[in-house]
Amino acid sequence: MTNEKSQIKKLYALSSENRKFSFSLPLKETIRIGKRNYEVKLKSDEKHGTYILWKNRKYPVEIVQSRQNRYEILFNDISYTFTVETPFSLQRMKVLNSKKGKAEQEYVKAPMPGKIIDVLVREGATVLRGEPVVILEAMKMQNEILSPVNGIVVKVAAKANTNVMKDDLLVEIKL
Amino acid sequence: MKIKRILIANRGEIAVRIMKTARLMNIETVAVKTGVEPNAMYLSSADIIYDNTEDVSEIPVFLDIEKLIAIAIKTQADAVHPGYGFLAENAYFAQKCIDNKIIFIGPAPDAIYKMGNKTIARKIALAGGIPMAMGSEGNISDEDEAVKVAEKIGYPVIIKAASGGGGRGMRIVRKSDEMEKMFNIASKEAEKAFNDPSVFIEKYIENPKHIEFQILGDQHGNVIHLGERECSIQRKHQKLLEEAPSSALDSKLRKQMGTMAVQIASAVNYYSAGTVEFLLDSEKNFYFMEMNTRIQVEHPVTEIITGIDLIEQQIRIANEEKLKYKQEDIKLEGWAIECRINAEDVQAGFAPDPGKIVSLMMPSDPCVRVDTGVQAGSSIVASYDSMIAKLIVKGKDRKEAIKHCKMALDKVWIKGTKTTLPFFRMLVRHQKFQDGNFTTAFIEKDLEKYYFNSEYEEMLAAWLATKLFIEENLNDNSINIDFKHGKDMSPWLLNKRINQF
Repeated sequence: MTNEKSQIKKLYALSSENRKFSFSLPLKETIRIGKRNYEVKLKSDEKHGTYILWKNRKYPVEIVQSRQNRYEILFNDISYTFTVETPFSLQRMKVLNSKKGKAEQEYVKAPMPGKIIDVLVREGATVLRGEPVVILEAMKMQNEILSPVNGIVVKVAAKANTNVMKDDLLVEIKL
Repeated sequence: MKIKRILIANRGEIAVRIMKTARLMNIETVAVKTGVEPNAMYLSSADIIYDNTEDVSEIPVFLDIEKLIAIAIKTQADAVHPGYGFLAENAYFAQKCIDNKIIFIGPAPDAIYKMGNKTIARKIALAGGIPMAMGSEGNISDEDEAVKVAEKIGYPVIIKAASGGGGRGMRIVRKSDEMEKMFNIASKEAEKAFNDPSVFIEKYIENPKHIEFQILGDQHGNVIHLGERECSIQRKHQKLLEEAPSSALDSKLRKQMGTMAVQIASAVNYYSAGTVEFLLDSEKNFYFMEMNTRIQVEHPVTEIITGIDLIEQQIRIANEEKLKYKQEDIKLEGWAIECRINAEDVQAGFAPDPGKIVSLMMPSDPCVRVDTGVQAGSSIVASYDSMIAKLIVKGKDRKEAIKHCKMALDKVWIKGTKTTLPFFRMLVRHQKFQDGNFTTAFIEKDLEKYYFNSEYEEMLAAWLATKLFIEENLNDNSINIDFKHGKDMSPWLLNKRINQF
């Protein structure tokens, strides 16, 4: 451990919805709620895999992604994404965020792997928020992919009767 | 019993379900092993396994009529059970079985055909004086006709595929300038999904309840109903939770709707198990929607409140036995709820989340029944539906059934894919669900959040993220729990990791 690292007294886990959870270092295996401390344990066995033991109940956990300081955690079948920040990086992030401009392009991506059944817009078309742009079939279900914004279609990447992977670009819309 | 050996022309939980009853009746079963799922659980329930893994045909074997007939002959099966989906409602398949002297465990081809074609079914219902939503008399040929018909019956209207089902080829139209686009989408979708572009138009009933009646008929002209199921909890016409009976019906309405359901079935000389679906509006007017000529996914809730094994009845009816129940013998007792636990991501709009099930534990309480075709190590493959298991619970009344359901949901343990569990955990706690105050629009209109997490779960997840950050960045000694367990790593997890780069 370097000297600088050992000086960190606090860490913050920021959720994707901007909720902040702070933890003092060294990290304790108890969490204080009201006046009581409750034990929290990370465990693993053959039958359950990895789980957290909290108030006598086991909760399944999985690490879906860990990349630098960004963690996607599946806790009791629900996924949460956090970035873990030190007091310094939190400060830096606040400064950066205030300088960020607004996006001008919206990229409509495939929310799931599947097959494009139909493309409902052409380049140059005006689309309204909530208007279907593509019909995607995945596991027997047809899904209308809606435009999240009002704008003009500048690129149509989706082709009918082709397969797409999750997060493939379907349509690009200029605001 | 003429039937000695049944070929199960299906897979997954319904294959397991059929084999369970067959075993109790001392009937042998044949399962088909496919290259897509060579280690599937349903294979271990069969007496005989037909190995079809070498088949490289593009059509799945469960849709390949010639192949299935050949397998039935080769394995000396004297009957075929189609389950649900695949060829279950294919009149040609039923006829082909009969032509080859194989008993089709289901209704006659003629009844499948008539009820499968929605415009014919409408005409039959209309002739029988069954209440129906106003609509076009037959199929609609183009968007101009569609506009004319819609103006006559009044918006909103719904365009439906004549050969449809399962929510495909259906579009709601609220004003005339949307008609051209929606008509073309619906017709195109219908052609792709059912090889038939014909569509018809009906008045769209706003915010109805979905109520369906279980029918049983024999080959001697006897038809009865086994009460209703309420399936209003659905998303994009895909049912998620079903219960029996429905809190919306009293015994008078039940009798009235049940009689109509029996009448529709009798009009096509229906035999075997079938389901007549109705929409029920807020004024308790009901409208015939369609008849499904197969065993339904949600059949267990009816089995629980009637004590009748529907698969056994299907087999006995196929064996030309007379129904041993009369309408007055049918007593509905208690309450049953079924949750469809699917491999879907409720946080991403119920997107399918196929993958390998790493661990799976289901509750074994007496009030719980689990129908599944999946065990730890099984894969949910993208080529089939996303079902993992059906969790069926019972109680003496609706309140107790919901209470038992809540407890059972907390005991289900599935790792490897995301599931619809958080959705059901939310649903059973929702006031409107508890009050029975919901319609088919519930998920779209009444829900702000599709999942439940208790107060501290996010904080505990934050604690875990922080712990991992410390282990990876601040500590010299590495983490002692091995998440990346090389050999057991789920493809789901692996995919998600690969996708980041």
